[in-house]
Amino acid sequence: MMHCTMDDLLALAAREGSAWARQHAVECAACRAELEALYQRVAQLKALPARRPARDRWPAVRDAVLAERRRRRERWGVSGLAAAAALAGLLVFRPFWTKPIDAAELARVKAQSATLEQQLQRYDPDGRVTSGRSAALAAALEDRIAVIDGELAQLGPARAQARPADLVTLWQQRVELMEQLVTVHVTRAAYVGL
Amino acid sequence: MTISLAVPDLLVARAKSGDLEALEALYRAFETPVYNLALRVLRRPEDAEDVLQETFLEVVRSIKLFRGEGHLWGWIRQIAASKALMRIRQERVRETEELHEESEAAGGGGGSRGGMNPGAVPVQIDLERAFEQLSETSRAVVWLHDVEGYTHEEIAEQMGKTVSFSKSQLARAHVRLRRMLDEGVAR
Repeated sequence: MMHCTMDDLLALAAREGSAWARQHAVECAACRAELEALYQRVAQLKALPARRPARDRWPAVRDAVLAERRRRRERWGVSGLAAAAALAGLLVFRPFWTKPIDAAELARVKAQSATLEQQLQRYDPDGRVTSGRSAALAAALEDRIAVIDGELAQLGPARAQARPADLVTLWQQRVELMEQLVTVHVTRAAYVGL
Repeated sequence: MTISLAVPDLLVARAKSGDLEALEALYRAFETPVYNLALRVLRRPEDAEDVLQETFLEVVRSIKLFRGEGHLWGWIRQIAASKALMRIRQERVRETEELHEESEAAGGGGGSRGGMNPGAVPVQIDLERAFEQLSETSRAVVWLHDVEGYTHEEIAEQMGKTVSFSKSQLARAHVRLRRMLDEGVAR
């Protein structure tokens, strides 16, 4: 007597069995038992206890994310001065689509942001020991800066001419956060004497 | 293994905006299922931890692309499975694993008989040990299909193989599991 193969049993379990296999499983006690054993194995696999990692890998993920954000910010900082100069130049030739005060303010806050980036670089926050509280505060500020960078990236240079006031506001917020971030690192450096 | 994987929409929205606290909350919510999947497939804890880390780096980088269609766990699981399978391909340890598997099968799994507590859910532990003795590819197919609920089409796509390959791997793996359990692996 021919019995179901494992392929047949798996197909039956997936409700895709052939007519012959379905009929055979009804008639053959041995194949019914095999099918039941298959169901049991799958149920036991699903019931295996969940294993948990011995080490917490979140700090490594977080540090990599923060390093990426910092690199992105630096790119913004370097390009900020160039963008400010370019915008000021555009202002001369296209005075009708933006108010001079916006462009001048935008150039100013971008330059300020770039200066703060350089200042932050001097403290080399990646390479220093810091307290948990300072690290958490710095991380929170960096998060908020990253959100603003994301918004700036979405506005983009192509739309800069249409929304100078929005850009100024975002860059001002960025500068404020950068100032707070620098303060965190300066305070920490003074405290630990680094 | 029953773990609640429900995540508030607000938390996902915060994570998408780059909020580090929200991203950590997602990590905490999914670290066990991701690690567990990777460990079941790769077997070595250090490899599973690496996959966990790589998975969440990818999650953080790409969460803006998650459109909210389907459960977040499905999306994260896809990344984790992809990372685990990539590790199998990269490390090319299948050949040695299969040799190990064949020798274990031929010897009735005698190498892992010691050190068991005979009173502690023997069937489940037997199955767990038998499962660990399958090749990485077989473990991946069995785990993804039987536990995670992947279809053969999805497994084939993830592994860069055919549907027939996935089906035959599953059938062969179950034949081996049944044989090892009949022979009393780890009892």
